[in-house]
Amino acid sequence: MEPLIDVNCSPMECTSLSRSAPIWQDILAQAMTGELLAAMNYTSLSEICDDPAEVADALEHSECERGHAAVFAAEGRKIGVEVCNNVDAKHWKRLRDAFLRCITERDFIGCLIVQEIMLESFAVASYSRVGNVGPGSLGESFARIAAEEGEHVDHAMAILRAERARDVQRFDDKVYRLHLDVMTTLAQMLAKECKDGHCEVCHASCVKPSLFEVSLSAAELRGASLQQYLKTLDMLGIPGEVTLAWVAQLPV
Amino acid sequence: MGGSVASVAGERTIETDFALIGHQESWRAAADVLAVLRGPERTPLPDDEIKDILPWIPPRPVCHVDIGSVAGAKARGLYIDSFIPPDRLEAAYVHENIARVRKAAACAIQAGAKIVSLGGFSSILIEGNFDQLPERNDTVFTTGNTLTVAFIVQGIQKMCALEGRNLCRSTLLIVGATGDVGSGCVRCLAPLVGRVLLSARKVERLRRLAAELQDDGVQVEIATDLQRFSAEADVVICAASLASPSLLLGRIAPDAIVCDAGYPKNLSPTAEMLDAKVFFGGLGQITGGMKFAPDFHGVLNRHPFPDVVHGCLLEGMALALEHRFEPFSQGRGFITPERVDEIETIAARQGIYLAPLYNADGSFEDGLDARWNGREDESMGERPSRTVESSY
Repeated sequence: MEPLIDVNCSPMECTSLSRSAPIWQDILAQAMTGELLAAMNYTSLSEICDDPAEVADALEHSECERGHAAVFAAEGRKIGVEVCNNVDAKHWKRLRDAFLRCITERDFIGCLIVQEIMLESFAVASYSRVGNVGPGSLGESFARIAAEEGEHVDHAMAILRAERARDVQRFDDKVYRLHLDVMTTLAQMLAKECKDGHCEVCHASCVKPSLFEVSLSAAELRGASLQQYLKTLDMLGIPGEVTLAWVAQLPV
Repeated sequence: MGGSVASVAGERTIETDFALIGHQESWRAAADVLAVLRGPERTPLPDDEIKDILPWIPPRPVCHVDIGSVAGAKARGLYIDSFIPPDRLEAAYVHENIARVRKAAACAIQAGAKIVSLGGFSSILIEGNFDQLPERNDTVFTTGNTLTVAFIVQGIQKMCALEGRNLCRSTLLIVGATGDVGSGCVRCLAPLVGRVLLSARKVERLRRLAAELQDDGVQVEIATDLQRFSAEADVVICAASLASPSLLLGRIAPDAIVCDAGYPKNLSPTAEMLDAKVFFGGLGQITGGMKFAPDFHGVLNRHPFPDVVHGCLLEGMALALEHRFEPFSQGRGFITPERVDEIETIAARQGIYLAPLYNADGSFEDGLDARWNGREDESMGERPSRTVESSY
């Protein structure tokens, strides 16, 4: 599909965007997939909540994430590309499966750790970086959604801190177990090169080698995501020397 | 790291006597730190991945450090790495690096450390500006530079003795003379040598230091350009704050004694000093035992002798063992021979002595160890324990 150009673009922006539109298309596709997966996760979470307020909260979050996915699709249309999504793509499916295991165990805290600490750290950090360099409204949307996702993390943090205070050892062991499952997959997704074949989200070949054309890099997105993850774990109170080793042991 | 974090998390309730803030001076050193963290069962990270990942790591504790004193005291501490990338020590990154040191300091405060030593560039970045550190509660900070000066001075004296040189007839050159360490060395050594040459980047500071020495009757020559001194130095201390080993000394005596006290090292590997006796200065050895958890022995302290540590970090350890939680070294211009004597005495009382002298090619004194360094008043008959675990 030949990318169309937003009629409101300046001539210089049009030229630049037409060249980079396929790159933005893949970035938007990854983001949209992540948002839809988050929406599914929150819907699943609502099914194991006992407190009606928590049910309402989870469903509200789910709607919010669907709204984000719609924003990314709309941003794609603005630059003349169709933004696909694939929540069954191999990495995303593994992340969904990890979340569903917590659902099966009716592990509300586990769900929050996976979604709010791990997946949202990745979203907040990578959207912020994209927001810094994205053109026009595309960049603004990424920046705004990054800020909103950050608020989700803040909301969960109070619950998780209180849970940790009840039993530090049990809580930290649980985070570590989920870290091994979820962050290993995220680290593979964020690797500088997709060594295990096509990610099943990019519309053609892997977008990572082309990211430099839009002033991004896979290394930067990974670094920012891991940094955000470490900072979030710090906020939970897990010792920094422990989380440092966790992250150092991730695959590259 | 195993499956459970409980044992480490639980240790947080134990008192933290001291914290050491540092950073790695080379990518090789950084790679070794990450390799330990990854564990032996995982492939070490490739160099390009290390360079991509390390700059994103926020400052944080890396390991616990337990130390012992020959007097029987024990202290527990933390090593906190600011994760300043080894290739970002230049002035262009100063604000970013100060922010990293501040965050590392916040980690030390959060851990409840009673005293914090600022290693390497950490002290340079904060030196004299302790108000830049976060709100401190009961935590005090020391640059550690007084003990560094003590070990540099002891090293020079020892090397002169080993080489049969008469220090009082020597021409002493100090590069980086107006810095905290450099000026401390000047004050200690100027009265003991024949002639003093001082070099630094800022001429006004050089003039002020020279005036101070001249008031005490010391003949001083200053220059910002090392080639402009009227005489060749035969004893040289390199204590400049250089982002990488890039110093070429130029006019020094062919058989000069040269102490490279920089972190990172000052002297360029291409410096041609064929007959010069170059040694790494400012290092001490803790003889009462030092244990890292996880085990970073030989990784965080990359020296050919056991339990050798930079003087700046040892100062915090010595003060912790002494239960003197005070900001002993506070930055530029406060290091005097009296303060050097005082910290030397404290360190020696806790079994912390000048480290054996060595350079990149090896040791100058194989077979000797810290018991024979900088100590005159104790029995020489019994070698200290070299097995760290035996102390605990």
